[in-house]
Amino acid sequence: MMNLLRLINGRNASAPVARERLQILLAHERGLRGQPDLLELLRAEILAVVSRHVAIDPEKVVVRMDRGKHVSTLEVDIEVPNGVQRSIAAVGA
Amino acid sequence: MAKVVVVTSGKGGVGKTTSTAALGAALAQMGESVVVVDFDVGLRNLDLILGAERRVVFDLINVVQGIAKLSQALIRDKRLENLWLLPASQTRDKDALTDDGVRKIIAELRTKFDWILCDSPAGIERGAMLAMRYADEAVIVTNPEVSSVRDSDRIIGMLDSKTVKAERGERVEKHVLITRYDSARASRGEMLSIDDILEILATPLLGIIPESQDVLRASNVGSPVTLNNAASAPARAYTDAVRRLMGESVTMTVPLERKGFMNRLLGRRAA
Amino acid sequence: MNAMAQPTRQLVRMRGRSYVAFVFSPVVPIVGWLEEIDATLARSPGFFVGKPVVLDLSAVELSQTAIAHLITSLEQRNIRVLGIEGVDAGHLTMSMPPLLTGGRHCLLAQNEPKEPNEPQAKPKPTSLLLESPVRSGQSIVFAEGDVTVLGSVGSGAEIVAGGSIHIYGTLRGRAMAGIEGNASARIYCQKIEAELLAIDGYYQTAEDISATLRSRPAQAWLAGDIMRITPLNLDGRGGNNG
Repeated sequence: MMNLLRLINGRNASAPVARERLQILLAHERGLRGQPDLLELLRAEILAVVSRHVAIDPEKVVVRMDRGKHVSTLEVDIEVPNGVQRSIAAVGA
Repeated sequence: MAKVVVVTSGKGGVGKTTSTAALGAALAQMGESVVVVDFDVGLRNLDLILGAERRVVFDLINVVQGIAKLSQALIRDKRLENLWLLPASQTRDKDALTDDGVRKIIAELRTKFDWILCDSPAGIERGAMLAMRYADEAVIVTNPEVSSVRDSDRIIGMLDSKTVKAERGERVEKHVLITRYDSARASRGEMLSIDDILEILATPLLGIIPESQDVLRASNVGSPVTLNNAASAPARAYTDAVRRLMGESVTMTVPLERKGFMNRLLGRRAA
Repeated sequence: MNAMAQPTRQLVRMRGRSYVAFVFSPVVPIVGWLEEIDATLARSPGFFVGKPVVLDLSAVELSQTAIAHLITSLEQRNIRVLGIEGVDAGHLTMSMPPLLTGGRHCLLAQNEPKEPNEPQAKPKPTSLLLESPVRSGQSIVFAEGDVTVLGSVGSGAEIVAGGSIHIYGTLRGRAMAGIEGNASARIYCQKIEAELLAIDGYYQTAEDISATLRSRPAQAWLAGDIMRITPLNLDGRGGNNG
């Protein structure tokens, strides 16, 4: 009986996925209660630096993030004048 | 014409967020363009249920405050390209969510999407009131349980008085969505019956979603149940509900008793 | 077996009474609004003295401190606020006037020079008809007469009437009839599951309502100072066989 149960549960086990997602998410959210969020800082500073050189249209800035367990990705897409689109990708640990 | 639908209940924990995600995904699967908006202030949930928790940059309050544009805060679902999310804020400051701010955002969302589903927080405070304020229609999520029914009744009363539509003398179209329906307990008389609930709430029934492990599994993996297991009983019930929302007349399926363990083992699925 | 007789219970009277109040609805900027008040006071200095004033804050977004400040500003002008409406309960402290709900428009009596030939006042309605169910949390107050509801009254809702209350549905909430001292008012409903019934101040709560009556058509009425709740025969047989 036990083998049958493990067979069934093993196929449908979603709890481990949930646990992993929560670990990543809470690690990030707890981190926020201590120091400032690194990715947030990077985002703000990147935008500040770029805007010192180029007038940025806020509508033309797209920021995407993907926080992972060991590596998080920050993607900042800024359309600068003259119709040339430059893409800056930064990687933070 | 865009439709703003608030998913509300009064009572907490009855399945608003799960239902918003499931209904939103089902609409998107039918080709509609949908945005789901999390109106909680301080406790984000919709992003988690949709599996977008790692991609949240800006939220509803950031847009209200002008820190971000709407287009920067909207997160597209990776699986359904017609489904977008506007996440909630993690701030504790309820005053940050303003009526005027919400009005403008809803107006802008109307120009971009066919459906705007507003996931209301529990209770009757600011977040809940603002979630319903600009709604054209409402889905009142109710469990077959006395305090849930009473809270739903309260919310129905508020939909008829605290919304912009009500203030203009127009009607907010209301639907009851019964969730966590357990047919075995209902047949033993341990649970309020569908008829009892409808008699008390005097509001049309949108659907009956059975209690099911599929819902838990779906939120564990961060995928709405209509996407994660479209053949499951709750997914089919949500899909039927969406068809009714779109005006189709669909026969109501009352979930039957779940078949026993052995039948499941042998591959025979329950209703 | 209960050998002892039930001790006689003293019925406690609770009465409802309605009063007419001036409603002040501040708008932003508050400073400008206060200036308007000052202008009115300059024209008629004692205008607001002694009058009950209610503050309607629904047009403004004020923090708790701002509300306290506003109340003080009004007090400095000899305007005492007796109640506040249009704001979350959480914004008010215990030292502030209480939160009011259920206020209804009414005409104020003119104290300034009356027009010599006032047009006949419209005949006041003596009965209120509600054509949809009364939802939990809603409070219907109609001191002028009877209230009729075509639908049920939800748990947590209340109907307060100067006359009788007629409910063509299930009464699950509270019904308080005869609040202006009308002891002959009655409460009728198609199904009684009430939380509380009161007539002219005499009340009974759900646990006092006999179990045999629950979920049946019933009427409640006062016989002296005792509230009788009896089955209502909807098939036309009999009448007041209390």
